[in-house]
Amino acid sequence: MPRWGMVIDLDRCIGCGACVVACQAENNVPINTEDVYHQRRAIEWIRLERYWDGEYPDIKARYIPVPCMHCQNAPCEPVCPVYATYHTSEGINMQVYNRCIGTRYCSVNCQWHVRFFNFWEPKWPDSLKNQLNPNVTVRSRGVMEKCTFCIQRIVKAEHQAKLEGRDLRADEFTTACAQACPTDAIVFGDLDNPNSRVAQLVNSAVNERGYRLLEDLGTEPSVYYLKKVDLEAPVEEHSSHQG
Amino acid sequence: MQRYFRLVLFAVVLLVVLAIPVAAVLARTYFLAPTAQPVKAQPIQFPHQVHAQAMGLDCTFCHRGATTSAQATIPALEFCMNCHKVIPWQGRPELEKLVQAFESGQPVQWTKVHQLPDHVHFVHAVHLNFGFQCADCHGDVAAMGKPGVKQVRDLRMGDCLTCHQQNNARTDCSVCHY
Repeated sequence: MPRWGMVIDLDRCIGCGACVVACQAENNVPINTEDVYHQRRAIEWIRLERYWDGEYPDIKARYIPVPCMHCQNAPCEPVCPVYATYHTSEGINMQVYNRCIGTRYCSVNCQWHVRFFNFWEPKWPDSLKNQLNPNVTVRSRGVMEKCTFCIQRIVKAEHQAKLEGRDLRADEFTTACAQACPTDAIVFGDLDNPNSRVAQLVNSAVNERGYRLLEDLGTEPSVYYLKKVDLEAPVEEHSSHQG
Repeated sequence: MQRYFRLVLFAVVLLVVLAIPVAAVLARTYFLAPTAQPVKAQPIQFPHQVHAQAMGLDCTFCHRGATTSAQATIPALEFCMNCHKVIPWQGRPELEKLVQAFESGQPVQWTKVHQLPDHVHFVHAVHLNFGFQCADCHGDVAAMGKPGVKQVRDLRMGDCLTCHQQNNARTDCSVCHY
């Protein structure tokens, strides 16, 4: 049984936003217009957070792509009154759209703000109707939705492996965001398979410069980040913490 | 006032009486089990009986996607015409419709018989690979003649779950719903 996870290397991320676009196209995410952003009701299963570091002219842009963390101890799950969000045996925090009644408790309890509510029936212009992914449900008004680690791709790969009578190979497929990333900053795979790139990264690079967002909350996120390597940054004193 | 009251009362009663048959028809389509639904009309009355029973074609001869993909797929008209270009069609109305559709390049808008909701993802290939036969869910389609194919199995979630449990298949929500 695989355990899906992701490593995002912030040293490689250039903030292009290809992951965001790829995710919207793959997962039938509704189009966010300007007024939707102003209302803070935009739906982005993976979003790009931008931070400014320093003062002009010595200023640097820092980017963090934020998908759902797929916490192993997810705060969103126990608050759902209808069990519409639950943990699969493969470590994915799933949203069951047809069960959801739209209480939005889960979104309140999520510290990363990666759960989104459909305040309106999603609409696409006619020219985009044919680009909808038939393998992903179009969420109707009144249900929560979130990153699924592209479960339609996972299921497809698992079915293909079953048809060919073999086990899943390491890195046989990847998520839309990881596939679209031009600098290979996002790596997706099976954390339990020692041959997968993501497991190798967790065993090597994550030990050196890895962290997880809001890790101290103890929710055990499945998404690991690798720190930016900045040679000009002032050296932090590590010794003071280790007494 | 009294006169108007009687008029309004009459109108309301009339409305309710008229609404009953409409509600009955709606209730029939909404609440009846899928297997109790009447046979759906098709643009061309395709006889499965002739193809699958009399000629003995395998289901997957035409529904080629069934063993390899999620969708069983309905063949393109070009595929029908492989045989039907040498089969006389003049004077046979259903075949004339087929040839006309082929020559005009307009695909035939078949009516879907086994209609799953959009949030359910069924994969034909894995079920056939496990050892199920087409007839286990679709019934003896080969014996279904002119009126068209009828849904013989419930195929609602309870039906799916019972079968999954009997065969030790996964019953995670995300197996079908994503």
